[in-house]
Amino acid sequence: MRARIVLSSAAVAPEGQADPAALEAHIFARYLVGRVPPPDLVERYHDASRAIWSAPAPPGEEALVAFVRRHPWAVGPLDAITSVLHPGGQLRSKILTMAAVLEASPAFADDFLPRSVSRAALAWQLVVGGAAASAQALLGLVLLPIARRARA
Amino acid sequence: MTDVIVVGSGPGGLHAASRLVDAGVRVTLLDFGNRDDHYAPLIPRRPFSELRRSDPAQHRYLLGDRFEGIPFGPVRVGAQLTPPRMHILADAPERQPVDAPAFAASMSLARGGLGAGWSAGVFPFSDDELDGMGFRVADLQAHYDAVAERIGVAGNHDDLERFLPPSPSMMPALELDSNAEVVWQRYQRTRAALNARGFFLGQTRLAVCTRSHRGRGPYGYLDLDYWADPDRAVYRPQWTLDELLPATNFAYLDRRLVRRFTEGDGRVTVEAEHADSGATERHEARALVIAAGTFATARIVLRSLDRYDTAVPFVCNEYAYVPTLNLGMLGHPARDRRASLAQLTAMVQLEQPRRRVIQAQLFSYRSLLTFKLMKELPLPGRQALRILRVLMPNFAILGIHHEDRPAPGKTCVLRRGRDGAPDRLEISYRPTAEEQAVQRADERMLLRFFRSLGCIPLKAIRPGHGSSIHYAGTFPITPDDAPLTCDRDGRLRGTRAVYLADGSVFPWLPPKGLTFNIMANADRVGLQLARTLR
Repeated sequence: MRARIVLSSAAVAPEGQADPAALEAHIFARYLVGRVPPPDLVERYHDASRAIWSAPAPPGEEALVAFVRRHPWAVGPLDAITSVLHPGGQLRSKILTMAAVLEASPAFADDFLPRSVSRAALAWQLVVGGAAASAQALLGLVLLPIARRARA
Repeated sequence: MTDVIVVGSGPGGLHAASRLVDAGVRVTLLDFGNRDDHYAPLIPRRPFSELRRSDPAQHRYLLGDRFEGIPFGPVRVGAQLTPPRMHILADAPERQPVDAPAFAASMSLARGGLGAGWSAGVFPFSDDELDGMGFRVADLQAHYDAVAERIGVAGNHDDLERFLPPSPSMMPALELDSNAEVVWQRYQRTRAALNARGFFLGQTRLAVCTRSHRGRGPYGYLDLDYWADPDRAVYRPQWTLDELLPATNFAYLDRRLVRRFTEGDGRVTVEAEHADSGATERHEARALVIAAGTFATARIVLRSLDRYDTAVPFVCNEYAYVPTLNLGMLGHPARDRRASLAQLTAMVQLEQPRRRVIQAQLFSYRSLLTFKLMKELPLPGRQALRILRVLMPNFAILGIHHEDRPAPGKTCVLRRGRDGAPDRLEISYRPTAEEQAVQRADERMLLRFFRSLGCIPLKAIRPGHGSSIHYAGTFPITPDDAPLTCDRDGRLRGTRAVYLADGSVFPWLPPKGLTFNIMANADRVGLQLARTLR
């Protein structure tokens, strides 16, 4: 159930986004918190990308990010499988960078601040989250070789 | 010519200087003196959670203007060094290069030294732990008390008193946060049984002013400890520097990097490089106190005595931290009014095969950013975020320091720089398999006790050798008259009036924080030197 929501929430790339970094910012924000980032946060992600990845990434890594830019619905599955197989990879690092940019802004802070919930809600969150992560990782396992071979 | 030159504004240098200045001795302090004037003014004095919801400029100090607060790669030393604190380690790798392939050597050229990022734990050593130094707690007690008064110490009269004697000026302890409160209540219910097995728990004694003291505090419970010092309630050595600056017998010269000393004609000459002009300066005094930090002091001493290529010992507490799930917190709301400093300290008293303690501190994870934890989970970002948000209030993090003693695999050697390049300090740290086995066994024992308190360990994270940032033992105080050691007064043997007052003089490290002991010993060295000069 959760996996379907993720896929549909990130399924549409913003129209007219020629700038790869801006496109990534939109895809990652919608994937992480289900909302569109305002222009200043897109710009901040752009600046962070320039500061952190000044050198080109290895071709396979760049191909993975490019695949997600072309197919935003693939971000969840590919993030799930790379978080297990290649946690230091560029796709995951870029998603975490967008997470950092969102977290350090008043509009999105509440999406990241700790939340106290009942034991039942916590158990539900763990079960649903675990199931969604597993389902996405399985789909990602199928997608990963295709995405790595795709054009960068 | 002044009376005493002190090198370094860390915990050792400033407490030696403070005692000397109080005794009327003329003191010049040479320091590099980096400080943060960039981020500190940006941080509003508001509770962390409120600031997160309201400050549009928060990204500047949370992430850094160069995004230096977004780290990638494995867990690093100093993960708690947020952008406003990164100046603490700035410039040192370039100006004091080390070759340490398997060891993270953190050095500081900041005002306050590594003490500017101190976690503020106050752990005076016991007689067992001063073993080998030729003096006992009774000789240090007056200095522990003097330093406690100077810096402000908060604590409780609880089960830790059998390990950490109270100081007369101790202030009331900080309020516990919700997480620690649950563990503490559970401990109270099973206390007798745990004590019988050698396990004791109490509130961490901290260098924090819980009431107004020397123009500092009281602590505001803003949960900004990793980011700012708005009330100066948590002790930093630079607060002592601020107190010394108005004194007419004290001079502070920053932007100086001390290279070497020479002795002759009843005086010590110190050669320093001006950081901005590159000019070499010479300063003269009747005596010299070096407290530049263990590795920087080793560099100065070995260069001055022309002991290049000579291996000296050093020790470093091995460190591990273990996130645990605090079952007692499940379903309980967490209060925002809190401190990020250590909440509780656990001590396990062992008698066999020799008398010693194991020690851990309990923290909560609240005011560091969530994305840093997301990085550590093998889960997709979206699920990691949702799970962490609800789990974070239930995380209790145990920080475990292990004792360390000198061994043949733990040495540092100064190598002469070629063709104008700076000298390089080679650091080798290879603990034995036996030492590591004891550490793992100690961790297992501690975790068993914490399981019984409802804290379920999730994963032991070992950031690697050097990660405790507790370094010592290069020129130990020993009763034996051996070269490259110090006598009881902290005087470096083979010199007439060169004294060491930082971690260098402690021959081994108990599993406790060293900083408070450095301050007390520096106070002692300063007092003895003042008497000698008189």
